[in-house]
Amino acid sequence: MAPIGGWMCCGRKAKLVDPLTESVCDEDGTYDYDLAVLGGGSGGLACAKEAINQGAKVAVLDFVTPSPQGTKWGLGGTCVNVGCIPKKLMHQAALLGEAIHEAVAYGWQVPSVDQVKINWSSLTEAVQNHIKSVNWVTRVDLREKKIEYINGLGSFKDPHTIIATLKNGSQKELTAKNIVIAVGGRPHYPDIPGAKEYCISSDDIFSLSNPPGKTLVVGAGYIGLECAGFLNSLGYSSTVLVRSVPLRGFDQQMAGMITSEMEEKGVKFHHRCIPVSVEKLETGQLRARWLNTETKEQGEDIFDTVLLATGRYALTEQLNLKAAGVNVLSENGKVVAETEQTNVPHIYAVGDVLEGRPELTPVAIHAGRLLARRMFGGASQLMDYDNVATTVFTPLEYGCVGLSEEQATQRYGADNLEVYHAFYKPTEFFIPQRNIRNCYLKAVALREAPQKILGLHFVGPVAGEVIQGFAAAVKCGITMEQLVNTVGIHPTVAEEFTRLNITKRSGKDPNPASCCS
Amino acid sequence: MNGVMLSQGLRSPMRHLAGLRRAKAISTSIVHNETIFVKNNDEFVNKVMNNDKPVIVNFHAEWCEPCKILTPKLKELIEPLNNLDLAVVDVEDNAELVHTFEVKAVPAVIAIRNGLIVDKFIGLVDADMINNLIDRMSGKKKDGA
Repeated sequence: MAPIGGWMCCGRKAKLVDPLTESVCDEDGTYDYDLAVLGGGSGGLACAKEAINQGAKVAVLDFVTPSPQGTKWGLGGTCVNVGCIPKKLMHQAALLGEAIHEAVAYGWQVPSVDQVKINWSSLTEAVQNHIKSVNWVTRVDLREKKIEYINGLGSFKDPHTIIATLKNGSQKELTAKNIVIAVGGRPHYPDIPGAKEYCISSDDIFSLSNPPGKTLVVGAGYIGLECAGFLNSLGYSSTVLVRSVPLRGFDQQMAGMITSEMEEKGVKFHHRCIPVSVEKLETGQLRARWLNTETKEQGEDIFDTVLLATGRYALTEQLNLKAAGVNVLSENGKVVAETEQTNVPHIYAVGDVLEGRPELTPVAIHAGRLLARRMFGGASQLMDYDNVATTVFTPLEYGCVGLSEEQATQRYGADNLEVYHAFYKPTEFFIPQRNIRNCYLKAVALREAPQKILGLHFVGPVAGEVIQGFAAAVKCGITMEQLVNTVGIHPTVAEEFTRLNITKRSGKDPNPASCCS
Repeated sequence: MNGVMLSQGLRSPMRHLAGLRRAKAISTSIVHNETIFVKNNDEFVNKVMNNDKPVIVNFHAEWCEPCKILTPKLKELIEPLNNLDLAVVDVEDNAELVHTFEVKAVPAVIAIRNGLIVDKFIGLVDADMINNLIDRMSGKKKDGA
């Protein structure tokens, strides 16, 4: 039997230590692998698995450098370990907590409902157990598909040679005919005193050993808002520092609905504020100081946890791209590659590491698969990055597909657009008297008949589920005429899209009179 | 030979046999009836494949809730038995065994006698199935019953 985790080469033996001789990879192209993938996350694994299907010989390198707080995780990338999966589980935990209270209004006899509390250890244990099961299944899957998995940090020695540095410091070298960079990104730490020493990031929150307590979230992108959202619902008082605007890049009217809802649930927002310092007190708590960039006022407060969510950066620096001849990095350090191909023809990039593409798991997976088919299957289909639907999983969710109202206005001009909108009241909200003030949706369309739809936006429960089907419709070029002629399913929240009939331009009141008419 | 002795159902041969077994156990340094926690391939070969008793091999993971129910149950049922052993294989520590036995989900239970796989089940099955398997492997039921 081959040694566990050992080499399975059929071409040549891989070298264990960087030799003094030049890389023995000659012009006729006898490489160790047809494809080496740097990064075992959503994009990398999808590409590797499709390549194996196409008959290629594949190796995947994956390595997690511990976070400043020392957190590490297994195979599967950001989504599985410190992204989508644990996020959605904690979001669900938060929603269930709210549901317990709503249940009382429906007649459930919940004993001591006011004393219902979350046990943070139980929650993180359940979440981490699930993640570990996914790590394991991923590893078993790779072994079964005969994809070589190397737990090492990859960097280029030359355009076809990669050095993998393992945890114990030893190095392995491998050559590959094609290489895909799918290294993703990690949280960015602002350059302020106390950031790396005392603050955590999304890398740490999902396995935090102690309950987070009173938390300051620095950053109001979707990561910051989602975290502040579930922490608040779980019972941990949350404050958010917003540097410019919440959910920058998203439709701002909808972003406003989301933050209103969070405020009404008790999350505090400090707008136009940047963090200045974080210091640790004798009690073990943290004193965070911030500056309002408009009023120049300083603010501060004591917290148990400070969670930094100030953006993510691509892990391209450690790749030594210079040795590979790859020179297409943007200012942010991301790889510029329109069709996932860099300036070096056999070196590609996929996933969060790409410049100007949505940083989403399904985007990376789909692009990775199509790329592998182009590399080894003779296919020519390119990834379509337009009209990719997404959802922000704040307690009241925001789902959207297509252009924001701002983007559409910029591209076509307000005169050429028609925006249909409405507030709505989910049936289930009445009995527990849930807040309906922020239940809102809109369709941004071209003004000229048949009014092709450019963007759909929805704030409400299960927004992700609501928007998914409409994403397929938008891909088919759905028009307002088709939408309003679609019969809704009743009673749902998704049917509100089929009931849209009031335009912003008309100035009419978009609040609902009653349902069923 | 065990089967013959058992089927005669006589008490003294049984005690004699038990005595022999104990002595034999000491000489081969296998602790009588304690669960075998497999740490590596060699241990598996020595204590499972080369075991003259049948062995129930339980593939287990700490992060797996059903495993936390099944493994203690198997211990409870098998440790008192003289003629059946239990081996627990942690899937995180024994990647090769996982691959060899094509374990794709946990918990997985494989019954081995004389180095051959005689039964296998995946997932947390009900008490009847477990008891049935144990009875068959420990000779209380005829094979194929």
